[in-house]
Amino acid sequence: MEGRCAVETWAVGLSGTSCTPRVKFGLGTDVLLCTGSDEVYVFSTQERKLTAVLQFPDPVSDLVGSHDKQLLYVACRSGVYCVSLQFQLSRAASSPADASSSLAELKIPSEFLVVAEEGVLSVLLVGSVFLTLSQTDTSWMLTLYKSSNYEMLSSFSLPLVSGVVRNDTEGKTAMRKRPVLICVHSNDATPPSSSEATLTDDHVRLEPVLFKLLFGVDAALAKSPVILCGLPDGCLCFLPLRLPGSRLRVLRSLEQPVVFVGASVVMERGPGHAQCLVAVGELGKVVLIKTDKGGSEGGGNRTGFIEGCVPGPVMCGCVDKNCLYYSTGSDLLVLDLSEGLSRREGQEKDEETSRKTEAALQSPTSLNVCRVAALAEPTCNTAGEVQLLGLSVRGQLQRITLPAGREDARLSKGPSALVGRSVGDLLSAIGDVCERASVLKTAIKSKNQILRHLNQVLNISFLLIASASSEEHLPIQEKPIRCHGVTSWSRLLQEDSLNLTCVLDNPSPYILERGWTLSIAVFPLSYPPSAGWESSSTNFSFPFHNLHPGETLEVSLPLAAAGEASFPMTVSCSLIFSLTSLLGEEAANLPGLQSRCISLPLNTLTVDWLHVLQVNSPTATHKKATSQSNNTTDSVQAFLRSRRVRCSGRGEGGGESASKPEREYSASIRVSSELLRDTLLLKSSDLDAHMPKWPPQNVGLSLLEWMLSEGPGGVTMGHQGDKIALSSSVVHARGPNGHTVKLTAKEVNVEEESTGKEESRTAVEVQVESSSIAAVCGLHHAVLRRVQTLLQRAPEKAASTKEVQSLGLRQVLQRAEHLLQQIQQSRISGAFGVGVSTGQVTRSLLSVYRELRENPLLIV
Amino acid sequence: MSDQMCQPLSLLYRWIQENNELVDKCKQQGGGDALSPDQNKTHLRWCSSEFHKLLKKIQGIPPLADYLQLELTVVYNACLCSTAQSQFSEAELLLTQATERVLQMTGDAPVASDPPVFWRTVLKSVGDTALNPCVLYLLCLQWAIWLSTCQLKTIQECQDELFSVFETLSTGVWDEGRSELRGKSSDIPLLVMDPRRLFELLQICTIIAQGAESLSEGRSSEALSGLQTASSLPAPRTLIAYTHLLSGSCLAHMSRPQMALQCYRKALETDSRCVCALYQSMLIYRQLGNTQAEIQALCLLHSTLMLPFATEPALAGTRLLSPSLLLRSQSLSSLLSVPSALSVLHNLALKCVHHERVSDGVEYYLDLLAVLHSEDQHGVHAEGPPLPSLPELYLQAGAALLMARRPADCMALCDEVITTTLELLPEKVVLEEPEEKCEAETRPLCAEGDDRVAMLLWAGAAYLLQGHCHTHLKDWKQAVTHYTRCFNLLVKVRFKKGSFQPQIPSTDMIGKQGTDLCILQRLKGLSLAGRGISFTQTDQLREALRDLQLSMQAFPECTSAGLWCGEVLWRLGRRWEAAACWEKTWSFTPQFSVESLSVYLQEPQSGPLLDSSELRRRIQELGPPLSA
Repeated sequence: MEGRCAVETWAVGLSGTSCTPRVKFGLGTDVLLCTGSDEVYVFSTQERKLTAVLQFPDPVSDLVGSHDKQLLYVACRSGVYCVSLQFQLSRAASSPADASSSLAELKIPSEFLVVAEEGVLSVLLVGSVFLTLSQTDTSWMLTLYKSSNYEMLSSFSLPLVSGVVRNDTEGKTAMRKRPVLICVHSNDATPPSSSEATLTDDHVRLEPVLFKLLFGVDAALAKSPVILCGLPDGCLCFLPLRLPGSRLRVLRSLEQPVVFVGASVVMERGPGHAQCLVAVGELGKVVLIKTDKGGSEGGGNRTGFIEGCVPGPVMCGCVDKNCLYYSTGSDLLVLDLSEGLSRREGQEKDEETSRKTEAALQSPTSLNVCRVAALAEPTCNTAGEVQLLGLSVRGQLQRITLPAGREDARLSKGPSALVGRSVGDLLSAIGDVCERASVLKTAIKSKNQILRHLNQVLNISFLLIASASSEEHLPIQEKPIRCHGVTSWSRLLQEDSLNLTCVLDNPSPYILERGWTLSIAVFPLSYPPSAGWESSSTNFSFPFHNLHPGETLEVSLPLAAAGEASFPMTVSCSLIFSLTSLLGEEAANLPGLQSRCISLPLNTLTVDWLHVLQVNSPTATHKKATSQSNNTTDSVQAFLRSRRVRCSGRGEGGGESASKPEREYSASIRVSSELLRDTLLLKSSDLDAHMPKWPPQNVGLSLLEWMLSEGPGGVTMGHQGDKIALSSSVVHARGPNGHTVKLTAKEVNVEEESTGKEESRTAVEVQVESSSIAAVCGLHHAVLRRVQTLLQRAPEKAASTKEVQSLGLRQVLQRAEHLLQQIQQSRISGAFGVGVSTGQVTRSLLSVYRELRENPLLIV
Repeated sequence: MSDQMCQPLSLLYRWIQENNELVDKCKQQGGGDALSPDQNKTHLRWCSSEFHKLLKKIQGIPPLADYLQLELTVVYNACLCSTAQSQFSEAELLLTQATERVLQMTGDAPVASDPPVFWRTVLKSVGDTALNPCVLYLLCLQWAIWLSTCQLKTIQECQDELFSVFETLSTGVWDEGRSELRGKSSDIPLLVMDPRRLFELLQICTIIAQGAESLSEGRSSEALSGLQTASSLPAPRTLIAYTHLLSGSCLAHMSRPQMALQCYRKALETDSRCVCALYQSMLIYRQLGNTQAEIQALCLLHSTLMLPFATEPALAGTRLLSPSLLLRSQSLSSLLSVPSALSVLHNLALKCVHHERVSDGVEYYLDLLAVLHSEDQHGVHAEGPPLPSLPELYLQAGAALLMARRPADCMALCDEVITTTLELLPEKVVLEEPEEKCEAETRPLCAEGDDRVAMLLWAGAAYLLQGHCHTHLKDWKQAVTHYTRCFNLLVKVRFKKGSFQPQIPSTDMIGKQGTDLCILQRLKGLSLAGRGISFTQTDQLREALRDLQLSMQAFPECTSAGLWCGEVLWRLGRRWEAAACWEKTWSFTPQFSVESLSVYLQEPQSGPLLDSSELRRRIQELGPPLSA
């Protein structure tokens, strides 16, 4: 370990740099960290852990502790906050929530704002004066406040040197450079109050002669502290604090942003006499300012400026007795100041002096610690080792212990020691490079992953867009990715509810990866006029992980509880992809990105009455009916129904209606059995091989079976338990609103009357009967829909259609005309409201409707 | 609002409500004085932005007669807030936009940008409608902006229009409108500042600004008449005081100091915080040579400046638009400037020391030094002459202390100066007397050299004062040591004139008074004289004679050297020479007034003295010269 420095990482993961980070000693053994985010961390060096996090409303640019270590001044974008750290910590400790964890998180409210000056970059406290340095468009503003009541005392401005700053503007968005602000005291000036006796790192004592040379006799006589600013535009300027009429004056220009200003003893002449001011520029210019003894002419002391250059860029720096430590970001280096200066002393009259000094300044020694972004002042531990406290670029707090007696080791560099050290250096460098490489590798890998993901997404998008544009031409089965549904009734907690199981098929060659969401919108085809479309529509979304080609995804969603929804319902499916999932969590909290997603429509399903029928098995019918009639509400309803029937006074089957009040409304559809035979048989042989062969003689039964088991539009009806084997051509079932319905399919002969041929045709008449008109309407609609699809499948048969055209047309037309008259009459009476009540109108319309439904045309 | 009201009208009502709430808030803030200026500023900024927002909403609809009154009121409010924040261009833009909308409404074509013509057209196009007062208020604001940006000429050109504002206001249209509508106060848009107050403020501020302008241009009598009429106008005290002050300045320019003093007194009576009146009267006393009164005035001035309420409190009614915002002309601010308290204190101390009030002077000096060393001193800079540098002050204070017979304190101060400068003193320094012509150019170039010469002179003077102290204490040996140190320092200076070689300066090269060379020679003469006198006290007459003669060479006007030289000659038995020496010394008339030289460069009054009448008696006893 000889000649290598030990790096101890104390804390990690302090992130965010909008401003130059800062590490400071404060409050005894605590270290204050500010990384440029809106948080200030308090790290206890004794406990070796973070003890508190102070959260400010704005990004923090600088902080300074008061002399008695009680108060903390923090410069934010909106102004300067003053926080009593002890008080805050004790308050945090007393609150029970934080008692368990030792890390106190304190939100600093805006009541602690003491100076509402915007854009303060640096702050400094000198005695009872509080200084802020801020930048306006054209100048630097140094403002003095009374620290007791924050009354503004005075303000000084210095024009901005634009040349340097202009180069800087590109990087301005990335990081605001903080000017360096320190206070220089003359060493012979006794500290005016004991509080200033312990100087913090922002206060340096300078040898009196140099002080007088730099800042004038007046400042020395007034024993005034001098503020020294190193500005990002390269100016090094000073202001005697307590001198009447003093101005901010430029001491020297570095012509590059000043990164560090400090004072160093350099040569032992007396304890604590800083002989030399050091200023370091960002590009590596080092300026030493010291007293020159007896120049060639006139004698006396003069100010000497020694300029040198070290390989930049310099990110931060600090000095101890005679060394300048600075970090270039990739390495921490140490520059021995005394070496260069002592050589200069020795060869005073030599003309080559300055060149040699530069040479001396140009040979810094590497300490092999990388990525240090901020340094606190160096301390010496008991063993005489120099310890530095650094903050790495990635937010690690590091204690860097320099090997003791480094100088001696360097002087007696044996070759073996040299080799050992260089090997060690190389190893550490390799380790460093390796670490950096692995970070880069992971980054590349994750980006590749994202690209692959995006490729899949795009493929799928194009597939779906292409299919959407040609939707009209493609039948449903040919959609590349589609949904189909299965309805099923379930009974839970005495409540029947209808579930739709949607199955997403992925027959495409692409994987649906993470980030896709299946979105299903369910809305009734018709809705009550009171509720808008939006209110009656329900959206379900199902995010899923991976759906490989050929796989299916099954999701189940509740359609309705019994008696609530109105059918038929439209279920429209779409696939949604959100960009956020692609970019990961970092992007998730970016505003405006959440809503960025691609929505691709899939197909639309329709759930109609036939799908939601609960077919009673012949044995169960009676039981269910009785169990239902036990229900009190049902009995009341039955009573009401019977009342209504009596009032309506529809004569047909009066006795029947009295005994069976449910069967009140009916509708029927006639389909030619020839057509049915063709299509159903064709279907069974061609398309659906597993379907049992239907006996050709019972077409009605097979029609019913087909209607109940299969549906157009991809929705099928799921049956609880086994497939219901229909024993007869009469099906009793319950609709979603609880009403029983009866479906009858029987073969009838339709006679052709007009032509004398007396040719009878067989047709299947499907009759729907129910006590609920809604059920009858709904079922009629559903059955018609099915027959429609059936017709679409039917092979063209020109001959039969021609024959049928005249079949009973006249009769039908007559009936229709009659009905039309009735409708018109009722409409007129309804419109004028003459003598007829609305109830009557409704009734008459209803009867028309019934008549229409009950005497259907034959569908051939 | 009833349901029958159509939508736009209720919108109007809502806007009026919003405006009135804002005005209330704006005024409320002013009521509480407990707020810091910072908070006040923030509040004002907030009000301004709210008014601007409201205005944006209102200007979203085309200009209609119904709305325009409200709109112009909001423009007035927003504009006033902007002006109060010194955002003149923004305010002016608002005004232009508003007037353009007025023209749009009346259907007149937009006119030339020449301000008087423009406003004349606007006023004509509005005619006698209800909008007329509103437009006049806006004209008031335009006036305020012109005044703040020192466009006095434009104001003069528009005088007729501005006078019409006055007529409108005085005929009470505003009042009628108010009282008529007072019943339903929620229906009329309120204004943040009463236009009449604004008018009054603008009127007096304009007269003051114009007065200051004419005064600086030398048209004093012209300015005087205007100012005197203005002093009877209704206005805040501060402004009335200003009119008196400016009248005084006019009178002083017209060489009527007594009348000027009367005016200054009136100004002070009107507003006790009007320190510049005090300062101006002090200057007049100085001009008149009334030292006692001058000292009195300085004393008063200093104590007034030290009072805590140095800043003007907000004046009722003019809270938003402070007079200082309207009075920004260069000539006025130079008239109103007052030196800093420290500078006044220094002046006071110096005056006292020069005019036989040494003990007071010493106290003032000590006060001054105490202030300079206190931690509360924070480099506050003020206009006016800067204080002399600190070593200079130390030396002046030291000299005063010596005059007050406190040699120990004097020596302590001198020690301070010496320790501070000693390490920085050059081994050799060349004093370059700049050529008369290029004096200005070369000054900054040889600044460092000057600095070093000045430091050397300070150290020399400090040694000289220490020598004087020891003389005072009759510690002749120490006195000789310190005078010698002083002399040794002074000989390090070589003098270079033009392109000649540097040389030791001699008597015939005495330059203008106040230059480094003059001070150098004076110091040489005084130190040699001091050493010579000390030698006489220890009976080292030869050395004494040499020094005194050298002193008279370096600085011929040194009375003590001349007299003591004669005394030494007398004691050496060279009585005729002695008599000639005395006669010659008496014949010198001092070239420089006492006050023009630093105190520490004057001949000490504390050393051993020779009685002139005694000397004259001796000459008489000696009889007529042999040669005669």
